[in-house]
Amino acid sequence: MEETLKKVKEEGLETISNVKTLEELEVVRKDLTGKKSKLAEVMQNMRNLAPEEKKQVGMLTTEIKNVFAEKLDQKEQELIDQKSVLDGPIDLSIPGKKVSEGALHPITQMKYDLNDAFLSLGFEVYSEDDISSEKYAFDNLNFAKDHPARQSMDTYWLEGTEDKEGAERLCLRPHLTGGSVRYLLKHGAPARFVYPGPVFRNETTDARHERAFYQYEALIVDKNISFSSGMVMIQTILEKVFGRKINTRMREGFFPFTEPGYEIDMECLVCGGKGCKVCNHNGWIEVMPGGVIHPNVLKSANLDPEEWTGFYINIGLDRLVMMRYGVDDVRLFHSADLRFLKEFK
Amino acid sequence: MRVSLNLIKKYVNIPKDIDEKQMAYDLTLRTVEVENVENLAEKYQNICVGKILEVKAHPNADKLRICKVDVGSKTVQIVCGGSNLYEGESVVVALPGAVVVWHGEGEPVTIKETKMRGEDSYGMICASSEVFLDSFFPAQSETEIIDLKGIDCNPGDNIADVMDLNDTVLEIDNKSLSNRPDLWGYYGLARELSTIYRVPLKPLDTYEVDSSLPKYDVTIQDEDKCHRYIAAEIDGIKDISSPIWMQSTLVKGGMRPINAIVDITNYVMLVTGQPLHAFDKTHVIDEKIVVRNAKEGEELLLLDDNTITLTKDDLVICDAKKPMCLAGIRGGKDDSILPDTTGIVLEVANFDAGTIRKTDKRFAEKTDSAIRFEKGLDTQRVDEGINLSLSLIKEIFPDSKIIKYNDVYLHPTEKNIIEVSESWLTERLGKEIDSKTVKELLTYLGYEVKYSKGIYEVTVPTYRSTGDVTIKDDVMGDIARILSFDSFERKPLTINLDHSIKQNDYLLERRIKEYLAFRCGFYEIFTYPWIEEKYLDAVGINKDNCVKLATPPAPELKNLKASLIPGMIEAISKNLRYYDEFKMFEYDEVYQKGAYSPSSEDEVLPIQTKSLVASITGKDAKKIFYELKGVIEQMATYTHMDNIRLEQKEKPSWADINAYLNITKDGEVIGNLGLLSTRVMSQTKIKRTNVALMEIDASKFTSFASRTNKYKKLPELPLIEKDLSIIINTDTKWEDIYKSIKNLAYEVEFVDEYYGNHIPEGKKSLTLKVRFINEDVSMNAEQINEKMTDILNVLNKKCGAELRLE
Repeated sequence: MEETLKKVKEEGLETISNVKTLEELEVVRKDLTGKKSKLAEVMQNMRNLAPEEKKQVGMLTTEIKNVFAEKLDQKEQELIDQKSVLDGPIDLSIPGKKVSEGALHPITQMKYDLNDAFLSLGFEVYSEDDISSEKYAFDNLNFAKDHPARQSMDTYWLEGTEDKEGAERLCLRPHLTGGSVRYLLKHGAPARFVYPGPVFRNETTDARHERAFYQYEALIVDKNISFSSGMVMIQTILEKVFGRKINTRMREGFFPFTEPGYEIDMECLVCGGKGCKVCNHNGWIEVMPGGVIHPNVLKSANLDPEEWTGFYINIGLDRLVMMRYGVDDVRLFHSADLRFLKEFK
Repeated sequence: MRVSLNLIKKYVNIPKDIDEKQMAYDLTLRTVEVENVENLAEKYQNICVGKILEVKAHPNADKLRICKVDVGSKTVQIVCGGSNLYEGESVVVALPGAVVVWHGEGEPVTIKETKMRGEDSYGMICASSEVFLDSFFPAQSETEIIDLKGIDCNPGDNIADVMDLNDTVLEIDNKSLSNRPDLWGYYGLARELSTIYRVPLKPLDTYEVDSSLPKYDVTIQDEDKCHRYIAAEIDGIKDISSPIWMQSTLVKGGMRPINAIVDITNYVMLVTGQPLHAFDKTHVIDEKIVVRNAKEGEELLLLDDNTITLTKDDLVICDAKKPMCLAGIRGGKDDSILPDTTGIVLEVANFDAGTIRKTDKRFAEKTDSAIRFEKGLDTQRVDEGINLSLSLIKEIFPDSKIIKYNDVYLHPTEKNIIEVSESWLTERLGKEIDSKTVKELLTYLGYEVKYSKGIYEVTVPTYRSTGDVTIKDDVMGDIARILSFDSFERKPLTINLDHSIKQNDYLLERRIKEYLAFRCGFYEIFTYPWIEEKYLDAVGINKDNCVKLATPPAPELKNLKASLIPGMIEAISKNLRYYDEFKMFEYDEVYQKGAYSPSSEDEVLPIQTKSLVASITGKDAKKIFYELKGVIEQMATYTHMDNIRLEQKEKPSWADINAYLNITKDGEVIGNLGLLSTRVMSQTKIKRTNVALMEIDASKFTSFASRTNKYKKLPELPLIEKDLSIIINTDTKWEDIYKSIKNLAYEVEFVDEYYGNHIPEGKKSLTLKVRFINEDVSMNAEQINEKMTDILNVLNKKCGAELRLE
């Protein structure tokens, strides 16, 4: 009897170790521990045994039963660990499913970045319409009567108004600055606001020149402020765009609507200020004109220049976006070419 | 403008510790933008004078010669293809190591000792374009080499020494000079440097004219246009070249030497900024000069052989009979200095800037003279011009003699006087500058300054009084720039927190753009404000209502966009070359004839409104239509604005005859949705695809001031969800199905519709989803079936629906 049980145990353990699937394991479990198993048969036949032997066999069967149960559980865990939720193989090199496409225009992205920065400094966002008049685009801004920018070689005048003057001569705005007087007439001073938007110039286009391009202008009007505060706005813009402090310099510049006017250069990021092709070998790149509001402009806005002052900063967004990404042709911005736009997700 | 630094240094001693780079930087920060600093001497290393001792034929090449050349330290053999070689000729030799530009084209190359067709050649005999000397020696043919005949030099002399090119040229951006007439002469720049470094400015040459000389006959007819006119008749002139130093100054300034007289006038203009003109005295009929307005239709033959027709606004310089030249702008053909000229009439005059500008508009290119007069010159500068030119004429033509002279001086430029208070200056500059510094630097710039009790009385020099410096802000600007803007402390901005900034319109526009881009998968595009006519025609937009440009970028781009649809169609047709399926939107202004006064009543602008256009391009017309419909339906919810609705009212011109809806708000049509019609697609070459389009008048959008939706309590038990597929007539509308059963369930939702196999002709299958809410206790299967049967019965009765059997 003992011999038989020993055999049952060995065969049983052998069978368990050979099980490959959970289904098979359930069959084996039944075969080894069920009512019709050899073990059950042995236990059934126990009553025919002598008490001494009965005790012996009883202990042995219980031991085998426990061993089987333990091994079967162990095998079950093993098999569960090895089981995949997948029925078949999986190619892990297949790309993942694409998320929804779509993007804002790179210039809009830059505009929003700057808006966020300026809103945090207490600036409002203002916008003027695209079509303006000579009065708002030039007269109010202290442009000389015969300033070349007033000619049709530079500015897009509207048909039927091109030979008129002032408020009756209409154009696609050649710059944003006209909007400053519109805002001040409506809201008065003190004021601090940004006014981004497209502007239009009658130009021959090439990789660096466009007829429609985007500007970003900021203006502060207040009492008792010095032009040197303008530098803070510039630092804000550049740090927002490039994510770090950028060296700048402020130099003499001339614009009819400022006195004094200045140009702001930033250190060339391509060569780090050492001089290269991009910066025309002088280490600096012209990025922003600005200046103190000319008294005549304040007068156009019904503000007393003795009382009020302030300053402008204007920045060419196209150029800044070009520098941010290394874009080499400004015409791409108005191309509506998705191959280009898909690069700016 | 190109400036010879040697010439500047004639008038101001730059401190020794300031190198050229630093000086250019200082000028850039304070006065004008120096774009480039070019060291000329560097270009002429190893380029020297050579004397040809012998010229013989090359045994292996017809066009080449073998020359023995004395280059000072030795005699070398050079193979040369020059067509004008002769023994005894002084030539320019590039020795090994020199850098030249082959035939004046391409990248510079370094000369090496070499063999040419088997013969040794030690260097190169140069043509002018190869060594940047074409302005001195214009070549008649490609093979002409420089002949230094008549120039004082010896073999071995460095060419930079011979041609006075040991110099540095500053290239200044003309834009930065546009408001500074005083800087259009080198002397003005010397004055700026003298101010920047606080070193003295040396005076210009003076010349005493004998006051007893007979008067040259000069009449100024329009004194508003000509403020001063000096005519000097000078004899003893001949056709000679000007000295090398003068030629060199002109070349460095970007001009071409012509002859001594013309060169003197140009040289004086470069130095003082005062343009001059010289007439051959025999060409001035009756020795009489009249400055007058041209007669309408009068003609003038210009120096460049073009005849122009004059108008009464043009100012001309005439002799007794006819116009000789266009005042201050261009010389006439008949008045030019010729090889046989022996006497001249020298003109140094002052003309009104506006007059010059007006007349000069007709020319594509501005002359150096016109550029300067246009800026507004002071009449006192005429003195500088006449003095320097007369002293140079005397120097170059020692035998010359002034015969007649006249200075008609009608309106001297007056000095502006400006009061500037010290306290104002301190406030605006943001720091206190002591009066000694203010006085000092203004005095260097040429101002006269009186200071008393906190007030500066500033007298502006004439050369800054022609429009440049008129108000105290201009004076402040001068102080700030000379001290350097960069030297001022960068003061932080203070924030006034009296109100928060909430700009609903701006924020709504941004939310809509972000909704379309990030949630719906559209790409934002920018298009031009003008639109090509063929797209307007295709869409059926009436061009009469379009605002138009007077001078459009191209004739077919005359119309400004009245709708964003045509531009979107153009963008779609362009992108179809690369993609089959894509989504784009644009949010921009459109323009229509009408009246709109945003800022003041005197200004009446066309109507300008913001518009939003979006498109989906793809093959499955129904799919893209419903997709775009979904974008519109959910836009208001996701962007927090007043609701918009879709209903069919009136077909937009571009839309398909069946698939279109109007977008309405409070009953008013504010936009359209539709599939692009077959006709528009065929006219705009959109093939083998479909386009769903929508345009909305974005000015009608109203943003919520804040979020408005209310929280809805969550149901306590889970919802029961059931799908139902029914068979209905193809013309039965979902809207009717929905309305008939919406009260019988908690939610009713469209799943899909299906045509085709197993569905009878004239019918379609529609699947919908209903959800029931468990109230107190969970419903059992029987109760749910009862509810479903009710729904089916109602659908059968109201819409003729049958259950679809699987």
